[in-house]
Parts: sequence; C-alpha cells; structure tokens
Amino acid sequence: MSGLDHVDNYPEIPVSLAPTSTVLKTGAWRSVRPVLKTRTAPCNAYCPAGISIPEYFDFLTQDRLEDAHSVFMERNPFPRITGRVCPRFCEHGCNLAVATDEEPLSIRSIERWLGDHTAEVPHPNPAEETGKQVAVVGAGPAGMAAAYYLRRSGHKVTVFDRRELAGGILRYGIPEYRLPTEIVDNEVRKLENMGVEFRTRLALGADLKLEDLEAAYAAVFVATGATGQRSTGIAGESLLEPGLAFLEAANRNQVSLPGERCAVIGGGNTAMDVARMLQRMGAKVTVLYRRTLTEMPAIDEEYERAVEDGVEFHWLTLPRRVTKLGAKLLVTVEQMRLGTPDESGRRRPESTGIMREMRFDGVFSATGEKADTTPFPDRLRDAQGWLDLDVDGATKDPLVYAGGDLATGPATVIEAIVAGRNAARAIDAELGFSDRWPAVSPIDTVSPAEVNVTYVPHHDRADDPPAVTADPFAEETTTLTAADVLEEIDRCLSCGYCNSCGTCFVFCPDGAILWNNGPRIDHEFCKGCGICVAECPGHVMVLVNEREVSHA
Amino acid sequence: MRWVVPEAEHMAEGTLGCQGCGGALSMRLVLKELGQDAVAVLPACCWSIIDGPWPVHALDIPVLHTAFETAAVVATGVKAAKTVQGKDTTVVAWAGDGGTFDIGLQALSGAAERNEDILFICYDNEAYMNTGIQRSSSTPTGTWTTTTPDQRPEARPKKDIMGIIAAHRIPYAATATAAYPEDLERKVQNAVAIKGGMRFLHLLSVCPPGWKMEADQAIEVMRRAVRSKVFPLYEVRNGRDYTITHWPDDLPLEDYFSLQGRFKPLLGNDEMLELVRGNVEERWQTLLARHEASHPASVGSN
Repeated sequence: MSGLDHVDNYPEIPVSLAPTSTVLKTGAWRSVRPVLKTRTAPCNAYCPAGISIPEYFDFLTQDRLEDAHSVFMERNPFPRITGRVCPRFCEHGCNLAVATDEEPLSIRSIERWLGDHTAEVPHPNPAEETGKQVAVVGAGPAGMAAAYYLRRSGHKVTVFDRRELAGGILRYGIPEYRLPTEIVDNEVRKLENMGVEFRTRLALGADLKLEDLEAAYAAVFVATGATGQRSTGIAGESLLEPGLAFLEAANRNQVSLPGERCAVIGGGNTAMDVARMLQRMGAKVTVLYRRTLTEMPAIDEEYERAVEDGVEFHWLTLPRRVTKLGAKLLVTVEQMRLGTPDESGRRRPESTGIMREMRFDGVFSATGEKADTTPFPDRLRDAQGWLDLDVDGATKDPLVYAGGDLATGPATVIEAIVAGRNAARAIDAELGFSDRWPAVSPIDTVSPAEVNVTYVPHHDRADDPPAVTADPFAEETTTLTAADVLEEIDRCLSCGYCNSCGTCFVFCPDGAILWNNGPRIDHEFCKGCGICVAECPGHVMVLVNEREVSHA
Repeated sequence: MRWVVPEAEHMAEGTLGCQGCGGALSMRLVLKELGQDAVAVLPACCWSIIDGPWPVHALDIPVLHTAFETAAVVATGVKAAKTVQGKDTTVVAWAGDGGTFDIGLQALSGAAERNEDILFICYDNEAYMNTGIQRSSSTPTGTWTTTTPDQRPEARPKKDIMGIIAAHRIPYAATATAAYPEDLERKVQNAVAIKGGMRFLHLLSVCPPGWKMEADQAIEVMRRAVRSKVFPLYEVRNGRDYTITHWPDDLPLEDYFSLQGRFKPLLGNDEMLELVRGNVEERWQTLLARHEASHPASVGSN
C-alpha cells in the first residue's frame, strides 16, 4: 500500500456554495448609473442630408453592405455622385480632427466606395401605387432626388428637362475627370427601372407652362437650377465667354481653345472647373480673383487640384475693362487691397487705383450664376423676384414646390439632393401620406471634449488614390479598396453610436457589462464607477443620477 | 468586439471590490486566459474581502485563503498535491503588494529560488489598502498614506520587486496592467504556457479610494503610469532577457501624479519631485539598456 492513498482518494468537498451574485446585489451601492444613449455624431450633424454615418460604417465593418446601403439611401440616393463631388461638410466636423492632431475620417472616400459597390443594386420596389402623378421639372440632382423619393413612395413621376439627356449640372456642368458621365447614365437608368419617366427637350417657359403642369399633375416640383450668367460689371463684357456655358460645351466635346493664354475671372467652384478644364485642354490658365485665397469661396480641394494642374492665381486682381487687341484680348485690371469684412465675414476688396494690363487669347467669366424665375407668376415671387418658399420648398400654391439652385442660387449637389428629398416628403404629406417618413430626431451632438481618443489607431488617412492615366479627361482619382475602407473606418470614434467596440465590456471591474454582440449594462450589479462612460471612444454612454432614475 | 480579449467570464458579479477596483478588474482579465483547471491561493489582501464571505465566492476556480506570509509556499504545496494526483493544474498565488514585497517576500524568494512550478501574481496597489491605506515597501516616493501623512510623505523609493525576482533567474517574469488588456492577456498566456518553473506577474492595480481619485479615471491613471515610464511594461525571461512590450510616449510625470490626491505632497515639493523624476529616468534607462542588450538587432528600430 502506497502511503499516498489518502491523497488519491481524498473526496472533493465544496468550499463555497454559490457565486457572490446570488446574494451580493452590489447595484445598491450606486449613486449614478451608466446608460447607453444614442446621440448625434458631428459628421451626421454637419451633413446637409443628415446621413447616419457611424451607423453605416458599423454595417460596413460587419460586412453588411446592403444594410449600410439602405441606411445611406434613406437620406441620399446618389452615393456614387456625392462620393466624388461633395465638399465633405461631414469631415469638417470630425471630432477626431478636433480632439487630436489626426486628420479627419475620409468619409467621402468611404461613401464613394459604398456607391461604387452598390452601383448595380436596383432601387427598391415602390410602395403601393397611390395613383397620384407628380411632375418634376429639371433633371439635375434636386429633381432626380425628388423623383427617387416620390417614386419610392408609390407616386407616378415624370421628370421634364430642357436638354436632350437627364442629369443637369451633373452631366453638363461637372467635368468628366471629376464625375464620369457613365455614372450619371447609370443613375438615370436606375430611376427609369423603378418607373420614373424622363421627358427631355422640354423647357419650362418655352415648351411647358407651369399652369398646364398644375392642371395635369397632383403636384409639381421645379428644380431648374441656376445657369444664367450674372453680369460681371466689366466694360467689354460681351468679349467674355460665360464659364458654365463653356463647361457644357466642353462636356459635349464641342469646344476648342481660343488660344494658349486664357484667363478665368472669379474664385468659386465654377471658376476652378473652368480653369482646370482649360488647363487640361492645353491652355496656360491664370485665375484673376479680386480677394485672396483666404476669402476665395472655392473648396480647398478644388483649389489645390487646380494648382497641381498648373493653374496660376493672381490675387487682389479685379478686371475693369476688356478690349480687343488684334486676335488678343487686352484686360485692364486694378490692384485691390483687403478692407473691412463684409456681411459674409470675408474681407472686402478695396480700390487702390493702380491699374495694369494683361493679354490673353480668351477670357472666361465665372463670377456666379443666377436662377431664372420668369416661368413663375408674380404671386409666387417676393418683391425682389425671388421665389417665396418655406423650408420644404413649398410655394404659396399648395401644388407647386421648388428647390435646388433655383431656390438658393449656386450651391452644392448634396444641398440640391436635400431640397429634392424635402420637397418629396412635403408633397407626399400634401397628398395624404404624412406618417410614413422617419421622424426627424433632435440633434444632440457629441462634442470633442466628450470623446476618448486613446484607442484610435495611428495611421494615415485614406484618400482617393490618383488614377494612373495619360488621358486628361478621364477620371482623375480611383476608389479605395475594401481593405483600405475597413482600415479607415477603424479610425472612427463612432461618436454617439454604439458600434460594439467592446471597450466598456473589457474594462468593467465588476463584469456588470454583459456581452451579446453588444453591451447590456447589468444594473443589478453595476456599482456606478463610471469607467465605461469615461473610456467609451464615442461617448455613447452617459451617467445619470440614480435619484432621477428612481424618481422618474 | 474589436478587442482581442476572451468574452467568457470566470468571475461572478457581486464582488466586494470598491468602485473602479483595479484588483477586481485584474482578476477578471487574468481569469479569461488562465483556463478552468486552476486554483488560486490568496494570502491576506484586498481579495480576501473582494471574493465575498462564506458561503459565497466569486471565482469559477477554487480559492484557498491562507496566512499573509504564505502565498508562495501554500501554492507550492497545492501544486505538489496536484502533481501527485497526476493533474496539470495551474496553481496561482494571488497576492497584494504587502503579501509580495513585504510579508510574503521570504516565501516568494524561497519558491523562486527552488523554481517551483507555480504562477505568482502580485496585484500591486502600492499600500495596505483594505486595512486603511498604510504604506508598504511598494509605496513610491512622495506618496501620502495614513502612515506617511502629508507632512511626512513616503521618503524611500518603491522596492524594485522585478529586480529581486529577476535575480532568482526564474523562467518568466513580466509587468502588466489592466489598462493594456491585450498585453496583459498575452502575458498570462505566456505565463501559463511555460510549465515546470516559477512564473511571476507584477500588475499595477489602481485603488481609487487609496489613491484619492475619481473611480472613473481608474483606467486612465494606469495608462498614464505606463506612458510616463513610471510603470514600464516588459518581460524578463530567465532573469536575463528583457523585452519592452509597450513603448511609452514621454507623457510628463506630472500628468500621472496630478490625477491622484495621494501625490499632493510630491507635487508641492520640487526637490522631491526632481528626485522622483531622476529615479524614473534612471530605471527606464537601465531597462532600456537591458532590452537593447537582449535585442541587439532591433536597437533603434522600435
């Protein structure tokens, strides 16, 4: 017999009877409790369309492309387009960039990836047919967005446009190297496939009368844009080429260079497009702008790309007179200086009286476009001739709505899309279907002081890679890879939206955050230490005084 | 979940740790990688309380409460019994800084010298916390405790327990903290995987009441200890090969101290603060030199 038998045969004895959780309800210690609270990410708040960006990012990381797509499409039906041309309002609010010296999330590039990878996903089947017919006049971004949301709601939609093809500014204004026509074609085709009818070569005023449309349709949405050239006030104005008309001709391949040396007057996005298009056609382009880079309204990205293309900028340069000098144009410009700020907050250019002369083969004006409101009767316009509209674009006539650049003057594609959606929602309500649009949730933005940036991986922001092409008119950038997109989303703090990162779960000293693909706070045991709230990257948790909860 | 940390829980809710207890969090995270075939031996320490009063307890594994000075030797005995039974159970001695640096040091040194097949984990909150915040030999210079009040704060430097352990040339020793959970889990894996000899983990473990700070800053304060080089994260194999596992980023020492009321006397005493700064830097340079000596090819490429 081994002397160790008593070890081998020693019976197992219970040393305790139950886990602490059976009797120690430590939640009673708590004076404050953490609660999950979905709030607004600043990107979402800054986006004119209010797209729930952290939410669709979360779906992308879960490989749920369709869910990501449908979250997006609730607010903007054209991610392929805005993913290329939006001035990225969203990125200007990114808490990561405010709270650290990291660059903001590359949200537009991710949007572009989403758009490109859902390009062949058909639009949803319309809701039950309402039997109502709505006319949309103008097949630009506002009209196309309105058509999408109206058709999706079950209304019959006819979109009229004065040109031979739908697309408006997307097809005829924005250059091919920024937004390929093939993408516009595809969006028009998808709208047609959901039953939207396009009728082209019909201009409001000339071929269509507003009152006839009102008589024939349940409602009318007018979004004919702002394409008229505003007067420049320059002597010899008739010698100037209007910039937007030049871009349209260039997009139709119906234009030739006036000569090698070209000038563009203005500092907005049209001026950048004209300058870059001319430069790509082989000209040497000089932009003449009366203020400086700081005051210039063009978005930074377009200015930077113009500089990359070789465009030169002359600041504080105001053309006063253009005269013919043989085959050339002689431009007399005045040197300006900056004075006090104007109502836009930008410093005003002031005369110095110092003149000089410059010679060009062609001079293009891009000092702003204006909308043509003449097809509207006086009763729908205010004393200045502007359309008299409410926030949804409703005129004084309950059947007529207007929006996009027509209502606002030259703005952005996303703002036009928002106007189209707002009008569609208002028309849908006017036609008796008010309760089927998601309620607008109040904006409660997560501030940079609230986020926790500790867990953000440090790597470079992923921008659209430059395209490798010798063709100056081919698209100049390419789309990120899926791996790049996921790596970029990894940098997102997911402000105000729980993306199930697990930080709260990992750090709870009490195991009081239960995990089932996401957190659930077990208030029976949570002691209210607040670690989860402090560590949450996107501040999706807040501490609430227990007194308020128990007395609620 | 984006963290490489197991989801399974082996510590029950309802423990008696204070709000924001670093000891409870350390235990919870260690158990996630320890495995179910394990036994914990607890000398007198906060965890004697945290584990709950009989007949309840908090861990999925058996816990043996024992006398203050005996964690290492009781663990040695349990391991011997398991070995006789033919079982490959991981036996963990789980002690505070008192049961490691002070009262438990003799048994710890003996076990380490014999290279016993146990895992000794010190969760270090830098004073005798559950008896009323008395100083220990782990209490750093300039700290307030109830036995080193503001007028006469801790004057001596924190004992270099990792140096003592390394001098025993045991197979594996490492520092870690719950503020870097993936680093912690990896070191627990390493410690469990190395069989047949003594392993030692030194976990800096926040005590919000004893450190006089807000409980919600518990993770942040441990993170700052690492970032400011007060508590570097590293491994020592066989007492010789040093590897720094997380590189600090030159966070000013004051950013670590200022979160904690216990350092008020230090922050008000420039002479003492400069002494501490010199000590932290000297210890870091020593560690860095050892790391570089162990990794000659990687010098300058961190």
